[in-house]
Amino acid sequence: MNKKDRVMRTLDHLEPDVVPITEMAIDPIHVENLAQTKLVGETSLQTQVSADRKAEANTVAAMVRTYQKLGFELIPCELSAPDGWSSQKNPDGTRTDEWGRVLSYDFKCRTWVPTSSIFTTPEDFERFPLPDPHASGRTFAVEEMKKKIGDDVALAGFIRDPFAHAWEMFKITNFVSWLYERPGIIRQAIEHLTDFNVEIMKRVVEAGADLIISGGDYAEKNGPLVPVKFFRDVIFPNLRRQVEVAHRAGLKFIKHSDGNLNPILDDLASIVDGLHSLDPTASMDIGQVKRRYGDRLVLIGNVSVDNLCRKTKEEIVQETKECLRKAAPGGGHILSSSNSWYTDAKLENCLAMLDAGRKYGRYPIDIP
Amino acid sequence: MSGYLEKIERAFADVSGVDQMKNYVQEALAEKVRPLEIIKHMREGLSIAGKKYEQGEYFLSELIMSGLMAQELSNMLKPYLQSSKSQFLARVAIGSVKGDLHDIGKSLVSTMLSSGGFEILDLGVDVPPEKFVETVEKDNPRIVAMSCLLTIAMDEMKNTIDRLEQSGVRKRVKVLVGGRPIASDFARQIGADGYGADAVDAVTAAKGVLEK
Repeated sequence: MNKKDRVMRTLDHLEPDVVPITEMAIDPIHVENLAQTKLVGETSLQTQVSADRKAEANTVAAMVRTYQKLGFELIPCELSAPDGWSSQKNPDGTRTDEWGRVLSYDFKCRTWVPTSSIFTTPEDFERFPLPDPHASGRTFAVEEMKKKIGDDVALAGFIRDPFAHAWEMFKITNFVSWLYERPGIIRQAIEHLTDFNVEIMKRVVEAGADLIISGGDYAEKNGPLVPVKFFRDVIFPNLRRQVEVAHRAGLKFIKHSDGNLNPILDDLASIVDGLHSLDPTASMDIGQVKRRYGDRLVLIGNVSVDNLCRKTKEEIVQETKECLRKAAPGGGHILSSSNSWYTDAKLENCLAMLDAGRKYGRYPIDIP
Repeated sequence: MSGYLEKIERAFADVSGVDQMKNYVQEALAEKVRPLEIIKHMREGLSIAGKKYEQGEYFLSELIMSGLMAQELSNMLKPYLQSSKSQFLARVAIGSVKGDLHDIGKSLVSTMLSSGGFEILDLGVDVPPEKFVETVEKDNPRIVAMSCLLTIAMDEMKNTIDRLEQSGVRKRVKVLVGGRPIASDFARQIGADGYGADAVDAVTAAKGVLEK
């Protein structure tokens, strides 16, 4: 059984030989350490910063080398910017991306993060020309990655969730204010962003993705970011549209979200095929989710990302064993942290999680 | 309670939106209801909304919207409150610490503190220790509140407290910390005076440190 087979069996809720392992992202400092290379491209976990294909190919190669070195079974890949595009450089050192998000450079993590927006009124959005999903080059990285990994490793096309995307595009205060004053504009934005995803997913499938992962949070530690009714009226119907595209292509659809999803878990379990992150610091108990939804949802998680930063190797091994004990029996579990291998995570802890996963994740699960 | 004040309090408790709240406030002002009474009832309404959020009845968007309503109300009442200097409990200098660009949590705490009766000096994100010191020296806040989302930025909270000590201004202020990776143990370890688990708790913590 190769790595991809392991993932595909897991997605089908069957037990493979060993629990697959992955991370949704690994910060540049760890990639450089593990791949023994210098990353030259500009990166962001939330968006595209440039269409410098040489730098992007270098990043893809480094990611593949890193994931192969770690033996990960699943590798996620972001979309690319269209050919010839470049983010707008602003006088204050920020950049503006294709979606109107203003990005600032995070020197510690060496990535660009959305911190502001060009949208100050709903009319700004009405006048905004939305990016074209059919523009050439959007699947450059996915195609590059597929060439490198072939059918040995499962490839996840990573898209942005329309709700989270709109939340970031408008900035949180505008989003909330318009949600009350101009709900139609928020609905319209989410629908337009879903239209984009529907089209781009078809291209990602053609480029060779084996599954889809949708990034962007639905919740914070206390609960969902917006009322459950808004999820049911607007967010979930649009989520369903995207899931249907994946399913028509025979692909599974995984939703990532940090935070406490418990109030909307019933709904999610009836729409998506799996959940990533299952943040243990936000009341997400992977054992409880497994008991309630284990026959429907593939669970990807959930060794605490905070603990990877702070705790000892021995504690991480214990946490990993506990995670496997709760989530792995019967299949349907991919081991990962509860977010990513963040800059501040101790690499020795990350590797301890990996080693424990290999040691105790062999089926049938029998953990002392 | 005057019917106007009750409606205003209810508007905040129910998060009924800016427009409805403004109508009620305009009616109240036309009937010569005292602005400080309006503020008092706004705070009561916000407190109810905050409790509903803590109990899971309200969601983050409702908490943010109640904060936006409070900002709008403050703007409406500004002309009436020019001469009233006793409207604030204390001045708070708040910022996300150096190396942390995250704004949402900090802004939410700012809003809740503001609606809880504090005067806010929002220093923004990626705020170096020197900026906090300079603000304490120049603007004389009674509280310095630091936020961070990233574990990698947590050390900057300690660095800022150290810098406040070295500059001889630490005793002039109470220090509050908060943010996703911050726990009360950490707050104690670095010598902070208080810790807010979330935006609602931050108001309780800020009132608490003033009594110390």
